[in-house]
Amino acid sequence: MKEALMNTMRKRIEELRALPGVGEKSIKEVLEENGFTRRDFLKWSAALAMTLGLPASFAPVVAEAAEVSDRLPVVWLHLAECTGCSESLIRSDAPTIDDLIFNYINLQYHDTLMAAAGWQAEENYEEALKKFAGRFILCVEGGVPTKDGGEYLTIGAHAETGLEKLKRSADKAAAIIAVGTCSSFGGVQAAYPNPTGTVGISKVLNKPVINVPGCPPSAKNIVGTIVYYILFGALPAVDNFNRPKFAYGLRIHDLCERRGHFDAGEFVEQFGDTGAENGFCLYKVGCKGPYTFNNCSRERFNQHTSWPVQAGHGCIGCSEPDFWDAMAPYEEPLANHKFMSVNADAVADKVGLTLLTVAGVAIAAHAALSAIKNPKE
Amino acid sequence: MKFLKVVGKYIGGIEFSAGYRWQHWIRAISIFALIATGFYIANPFITYQNTAVEPTRFLHAEIREWHIIFGFAMIAAVLYKTFYFFFFKEGKYERESIKDAFNVKLMIEQVGYYLLINKHPHTKGIYNPLQFWAYTMLYVFFYGIIITGIALYAEVYHEGLGAFFYPFAKSIESFFGGLAYVRLWHHIFMWAIIIVVFVHIYMAVYNAVFGKNGGMDAIFSGMKWEKFEDATKEEAQKLLHH
Repeated sequence: MKEALMNTMRKRIEELRALPGVGEKSIKEVLEENGFTRRDFLKWSAALAMTLGLPASFAPVVAEAAEVSDRLPVVWLHLAECTGCSESLIRSDAPTIDDLIFNYINLQYHDTLMAAAGWQAEENYEEALKKFAGRFILCVEGGVPTKDGGEYLTIGAHAETGLEKLKRSADKAAAIIAVGTCSSFGGVQAAYPNPTGTVGISKVLNKPVINVPGCPPSAKNIVGTIVYYILFGALPAVDNFNRPKFAYGLRIHDLCERRGHFDAGEFVEQFGDTGAENGFCLYKVGCKGPYTFNNCSRERFNQHTSWPVQAGHGCIGCSEPDFWDAMAPYEEPLANHKFMSVNADAVADKVGLTLLTVAGVAIAAHAALSAIKNPKE
Repeated sequence: MKFLKVVGKYIGGIEFSAGYRWQHWIRAISIFALIATGFYIANPFITYQNTAVEPTRFLHAEIREWHIIFGFAMIAAVLYKTFYFFFFKEGKYERESIKDAFNVKLMIEQVGYYLLINKHPHTKGIYNPLQFWAYTMLYVFFYGIIITGIALYAEVYHEGLGAFFYPFAKSIESFFGGLAYVRLWHHIFMWAIIIVVFVHIYMAVYNAVFGKNGGMDAIFSGMKWEKFEDATKEEAQKLLHH
């Protein structure tokens, strides 16, 4: 089976190799110029193979796929968002291999990273759509406002709405990847009361969309999804919220380094206490790891350096749909979730206790009345 | 009801079978155990003095284990009772309450009884309309808490039963809009059950105090006693052999 899988991949890679590359230089040349040895590149490939759930023996195939990745250009569209996802991809102490491959070479359009501006940028966009129609991977960052015809987001001098631009681009894309929680589920602008009617892009498109949520998602998950498409020519297996299973199959909690302390009932009571010093579980200071599907506890961020829970703050559940509303308050357990009420701070326990008290008072009154005036027999 | 014996002016029969009584008490004990352990899981309020940095005594895991054990006990009891209601032969007295449940006049009379205005109306089945709808809601809450509970369980225990339930758990997760909402609803269903149980206990005590027919005893002994005003002891004996 392994053999068959590898053959499929090699066949796919050969097909791609026949296509012209989009850059002036090949990926091999650029990597060499930037001081990456073949060994570094294979190490990177092995790590990526692991991320995708492939055995280490697939590292050379992954390397080949990365080398031909310039045949499938990436067009990066920005909608209602903060550019944090792009930051996640490019923010590193030195250009990484991910960076070189996906930003310096393959990226045909990315309005924050490209040198062009204004009319020129617009022209580049149209050019890329035309030139690579049916071949490019469309990465979308940001949710799409839909209220009032989507006019809360317009792009460029023609004031084209994000909604129109997205639909037009998606029609020509070979694959669509929603990068980040906003494009996957709407994100912060879709949080209550969502004045612009923002939704995730899959809600307005009739093509399959792979969600790579996170606020931001790790670079590994973004690159991993793109490489998966290059390797298989198909989109990865997804979970119930269309997230690739290789990255979002398990909860943060399942692979958390503090999990032992959770099971032991050892909790940080407040930030900076002895429990925090001892690395206890952050559940009581609001960690939402038990409700969040992502691989942060395994892959971490910034070249595997650290991640929120390691740094001492709980997970806020940023890769879950509707997380700004669902996971609040972020530094208290979910049991303290606030519900709408007269004073807007009622938690389930408070509402429950109030109802129970009302029932108790009613019961006491009824019992007293019945004792004085017996029920009719 | 199957009449068994006559004592004085009362004729007695089995109201609740052994299986019925077992499921009631298993359910009752499970509910209280689940509330206690559930509150701990929601916000772990007790912990022990830590002597070592390394986790060694797994308090949370232990409490969670008991939560799961009682959870499955409750699921078994609820399933048994559901089958009892719909399919068991003895369930026919309960099923007869369905007709009463849609009788508005009866419902108003029942409210009147609780308001100390009129006498307790005569019902066909064993539940009065208010009681019937309260129990119906209770089962909505039961199934709500069971379904959300299984969805939470399957995410922690990925093998065996968890694996069996996994596709179902995932569809529940999608339905509620994420695991966090599943957890929130699990908590809300608990509060709904607490309130129904609280009122249920009051009504049971109330009927024992004012009904004066030993009705409360039935859930322990299974026996229900009915007074026969006009019949003689001999006629009652005939009824026994009928």
